[in-house]
Amino acid sequence: MIQTIGLSKAFHGAEVLKNINLQVAKSEIVVLLGPSGSGKSTLLRCLNGLEEPTGGAVELNGIRVDAAMKVREKRSRYREIRKHTGMVFQQFNLYPHKTALENVIEALLTVKKMPKHQAVQIGERLLERVGLAGKKDAYPSRLSGGQQQRVAIARALAMEPDIMLFDEPTSALDPELVGEVLDVMRELAKEGMTMMVVTHEMKFARQVANRIVFMDEGTIVEEAPPEAFFREPATERAKKFLNQLSDH
Amino acid sequence: MSLVLENGFFLLKGAYYTLLITIVSILFGLIIGVVVALARLKGNAPLRWLARTYVSIIRGTPTLVQIIIVYYGLVDYGITLGPLTAAYVALSINVGAYLSETVRGAILSIPRGQTEAAYATGMTPWQTYRRIVLPQAARVAIAPMGNTFIGMLKETSLVSVITVTELLRSAQLLIAQYYVNMPFYLGIAVMYWVMSTVFAAILEAIEKRLSRAY
Ligand SMILES: Nc1ncnc2c1ncn2[C@@H]1O[C@H](COP(=O)(O)OP(=O)(O)OP(=O)(O)O)[C@@H](O)[C@H]1O
Ligand SMILES: [Mg+2]
Repeated sequence: MIQTIGLSKAFHGAEVLKNINLQVAKSEIVVLLGPSGSGKSTLLRCLNGLEEPTGGAVELNGIRVDAAMKVREKRSRYREIRKHTGMVFQQFNLYPHKTALENVIEALLTVKKMPKHQAVQIGERLLERVGLAGKKDAYPSRLSGGQQQRVAIARALAMEPDIMLFDEPTSALDPELVGEVLDVMRELAKEGMTMMVVTHEMKFARQVANRIVFMDEGTIVEEAPPEAFFREPATERAKKFLNQLSDH
Repeated sequence: MSLVLENGFFLLKGAYYTLLITIVSILFGLIIGVVVALARLKGNAPLRWLARTYVSIIRGTPTLVQIIIVYYGLVDYGITLGPLTAAYVALSINVGAYLSETVRGAILSIPRGQTEAAYATGMTPWQTYRRIVLPQAARVAIAPMGNTFIGMLKETSLVSVITVTELLRSAQLLIAQYYVNMPFYLGIAVMYWVMSTVFAAILEAIEKRLSRAY
């Protein structure tokens, strides 16, 4: 489904991703763990081109972006990839000048050029799916963080993505609002959505992930099923990481 | 005082020109402002340099000098503009530079996450600009722009030096005729004040309307 081949990324000469080879199969749920600065966000952002890789390739369902390609070619292929990926950000990034419903249908109107009434139908159904049918005309500023993030999930789902990328979707939320967002994500997982999730919610990772990918200093250090990873990580670095977590 | 009222029609005509010059300059200034802001943000190196230099020159020289150059200076090169046209040209170019700074700042103030969210759904840079960035930037820009507009209303008095009979020059002509100063000057001061106040009220209404959505 999605894979990276020898992917690397440098910012001003500093390599923050080094030779990443990762495959995610359809309906698989991969949770990315790792210390701050290990490159988790950068990896997700290289998948949909918010960052452009400096080496290697990314491939989604046969659409391939190679770092060696011409800039134009890369951009247009990434645009194709983006139509098939949904991304959810830590800070929600809802459009403040648009209502919940307008946020969800924006790309249907502009990217898919869908007639408005049809887009509205889809949008209303998606808002219902994330439990916010009653909030469709509310502006983001009138919604709680948890509600905003659920709208953002609905917005990402609108394009019927093949894979959803989550970058710390609950890190900016008050603790009591984390649950409602994780519930929506659990629901998605149950429905067979392919997902890559960066999160610090270890319980969620343990329960929902099919695979844990542990990163440190720009490389994948360890990959394992969650039970194995949390019971007995194979590497010293993963052990240290988990110990530090449980100290808090 | 009765002299002012007797010549009310003449003064109102001056006020009409003041308003006309203000509105025309603002409209053209807005177009210039947006184009120059986009040139500075998105243009290639020579274009960016050109836009930056334009803004720097306009901001670094007195408006009065700019007006005089357009009206009296260009004549040397065979470009003869009527006083009113010269006023439109000079003031549009002037206010365009200031507005471009406001527009640029407003665009830059929109968080990167907004663009990224739009890109992530497959929107093109242009779609993102038009549907996500510019509408938000307009809301940010409207208040400072309002100040520029009101400033413009007052700056129009400068074009009296190139014989445009706007409000100030209307008063000066009457003064030359009747040999009294203060009533006319006070009269037009009141008229400027009324126009600025009405202008401000209109702008405030627009601002309210724009930000109602949030
Ligand atoms: N735009 C950028 N310019 C320069 N350096 C960057 C940029 N984005 C990320 N980096 C650097 O790349 C490294 C990896 O960052 P990244 O955000 O991917 O880490 P992360 O694993 O997501 O960390 P966190 O858990 O704190 O979110 C960091 O050292 C960071 O400083
Ligand atoms: Mg991160």
